[in-house]
Amino acid sequence: MLFFKPLAGIILILALVLTQGCIVTRGTIGEPLQEEAISAIKKGTTTMAEVVSSLGAPDRIVRGNDREIFHYYYYDGKSPAMMLLILNFIRMDIKSDNLYVFFDRNGIAEEVVYGKRTGNTKFRLWPFGD
Amino acid sequence: MAARFPAIRLVAGTLCLLLCAGCTVRRVVFNDVVTKEQVNFIRVGQTTLPELADHIGAPDEVTESEFGVVALYNWSDTKSAALDFGTIPRLFFGPFVPTMTLTKTGITPEQLQVVFDPQWTVRAYVFSRRTTEEPVVWFWPF
Repeated sequence: MLFFKPLAGIILILALVLTQGCIVTRGTIGEPLQEEAISAIKKGTTTMAEVVSSLGAPDRIVRGNDREIFHYYYYDGKSPAMMLLILNFIRMDIKSDNLYVFFDRNGIAEEVVYGKRTGNTKFRLWPFGD
Repeated sequence: MAARFPAIRLVAGTLCLLLCAGCTVRRVVFNDVVTKEQVNFIRVGQTTLPELADHIGAPDEVTESEFGVVALYNWSDTKSAALDFGTIPRLFFGPFVPTMTLTKTGITPEQLQVVFDPQWTVRAYVFSRRTTEEPVVWFWPF
């Protein structure tokens, strides 16, 4: 039992030494879009009021082809950094999710377009290459 | 002879360290690149907005123009490098040594614009002006 305490101390000190100069940052804009609420939107039946009650007010309202379009978005950014005394690497990956609900002239959902990219956002430190 | 190698390694290592001293490399990547190959499937007058979203995801922006509704896909790659000549003196003389930093930043915002007709089929699509050269990781700003 007495053996574990120095070992735990050594591991803790090693972990602290090895992570010195490391910065991990995460930034988001908006709230993640709830996929259950999106799949509940039925073309031809769901009304504008129902969309607003399940997803909240849209981030943007666009008008196109004489239709109202609700735009919901969510941004996720992950940024690791290594700040050593003489050499620093910082990288940030940002991706966005977008949902568009197209309404007809009667305020009924006509089309739903959803794209999720934030699932692929990664903490990548190396700033070179792809 | 054997004693010379450690000395050479030490000098080479110190030189490498000095060359990197004060270097900062930053990169910000926004969304994945949309390539011409990825949009080869688009047939003008046939492909619809949901079909486009199935292949390359939802656009980042939808806006109305004189030519019809436009879907915009945005992505960018920002590279920035800096060299601080005050780093090494700071190691010896403390934190009050002033900074002397050269920085260069290259931002390449890219865009795919897809115009739709009133039936929501593709009327036209075009990529924004692309530079043939990638932004360089280089600190010299002049």
